[in-house]
Amino acid sequence: MERKIICALCGKSLEMTETFFDYYGHHLHKDLPCCPSCGQVYVSKELAEGKMRNTEAELEDK
Amino acid sequence: MKETKDIIIGHTRSICPVCGRQLPAQRVRHGEDIFLEKSCPEHGDFSTVIWRGRLSISSWMCGNEPLGDDYNPNCPYDCGLCQHHLTDTCCVLYEVTRRCNLHCSFCFAEGGAGDDIPLAKIKEDILALTRPGKTFLQLSGGEPTVRDDLPEIVAYAKNVGCKYLQLNSNGIRLAEDEAYVAALAEAGLSFVFMQFDGTRDDIYRKLRGKPLLELKKQAIANCAKYRIGVTLVPTLVPRVNTDDIGNIVRFGISQVPAVRGVHFQPISYFGRYPAPPANEDRYTLAELVADLGRQTNGLVNITNIAPSHCDHPLCGFHSSFIAMEDGRFIALTKPDSEGCCCGVTTAEQNREYIGRRWTRSQEEEVTAAPAAQYVAGEPDDLDDFLRQAKTRSFTVTAMAFQDAYNLDIERIRRCSLHVYEDGKFMPFCARYLTLGGTE
Repeated sequence: MERKIICALCGKSLEMTETFFDYYGHHLHKDLPCCPSCGQVYVSKELAEGKMRNTEAELEDK
Repeated sequence: MKETKDIIIGHTRSICPVCGRQLPAQRVRHGEDIFLEKSCPEHGDFSTVIWRGRLSISSWMCGNEPLGDDYNPNCPYDCGLCQHHLTDTCCVLYEVTRRCNLHCSFCFAEGGAGDDIPLAKIKEDILALTRPGKTFLQLSGGEPTVRDDLPEIVAYAKNVGCKYLQLNSNGIRLAEDEAYVAALAEAGLSFVFMQFDGTRDDIYRKLRGKPLLELKKQAIANCAKYRIGVTLVPTLVPRVNTDDIGNIVRFGISQVPAVRGVHFQPISYFGRYPAPPANEDRYTLAELVADLGRQTNGLVNITNIAPSHCDHPLCGFHSSFIAMEDGRFIALTKPDSEGCCCGVTTAEQNREYIGRRWTRSQEEEVTAAPAAQYVAGEPDDLDDFLRQAKTRSFTVTAMAFQDAYNLDIERIRRCSLHVYEDGKFMPFCARYLTLGGTE
């Protein structure tokens, strides 16, 4: 069963929402759990240390 | 308004191309073009074009530290690297043979006939030059593939800890001997720097003495089969192939992921060349940047090209792209981006940057037919971008080697491409320097 994530501020269940990232002038999107009330997005440690870090490395110059 | 007055825009040091003595030199603007000028008390005045066109040399060299008073008065004759050298080793070039299966009109190494270096000597040298887990080794020549034991050399270098192993080759044997390519892949070869002067056979006839285009294509196909990345290396010669730059880039992109990029080398006059050069025989980095923009219809242009920070800005440039399966050509390099490589880690950053991009991913899967043509685009979906960034990277880079006429001590001491020979590391252009200019 998929784990439910609750917004700590609003107490509402997060919903998968298209989320945009800006880095070095590029704009990328990915569906992430997002609070329907306050708009806070949950970025897991796995995502931050994995795909997001790898994407940054690709976009950065030397 | 066109400027006609001569203006000195910088001071450096060079050598007399005839006797080799070190001399003060100036970068002088005549109209739009920049010349390196020097005067030898014995052999007279020399003026060599180093920059042509409207691209601002001062913007290009922004942040560059000019040569001060702490230069080595015996440079470049005191090499190995001395206390005045500013850049660590990024790539080591090592000659495994002097023999060659071509006799080109231009050749930095003057390859030809001769005895091969004994395998035991090569292993001894590779062991001495290797910093395990770090070394980026270029196996060069002559033509390295004339050696049947090259796979054994590659395996040995890998075994003693070379991280990236590059083969500098004309591609002839790679085209004709698939089993040899398989053996190189099995031994751990990372990628091939393949001489690729153009997309027409008249270019190969002029520069290499015979039509080679089909062989080049077969070499790429064979390397692709064994997942060895190929970077195309055109030597650019005025009136021979500078009109083919856009076609070379387009051909390279059409071969992604087998081809990892194009590395342009404007002609320089050392080793073997037909005659002492006039200024119209030179092709400068500024012209290359301009022609890339024009001939690729802006796909590769000044807004996505960055001057070299690892070496001297006048030594080269880099630009990095992702050739997406749907035809978007995404430029990653921004000339003004932060994080230029300076300081002690410079060479390591550069090494990883190019090593990672020129190595072909072993996990890639073909998921789509290649795009018919590419247009500038932007990334969108993060997962898709990341997947393709690992497999469909494409670089456009350049290196302008120096010769006795345009040698600039300021550039020499920033060099990170070092030749290993006789227990010493030497900047590439110092090692292959050839005197003999005419008065």
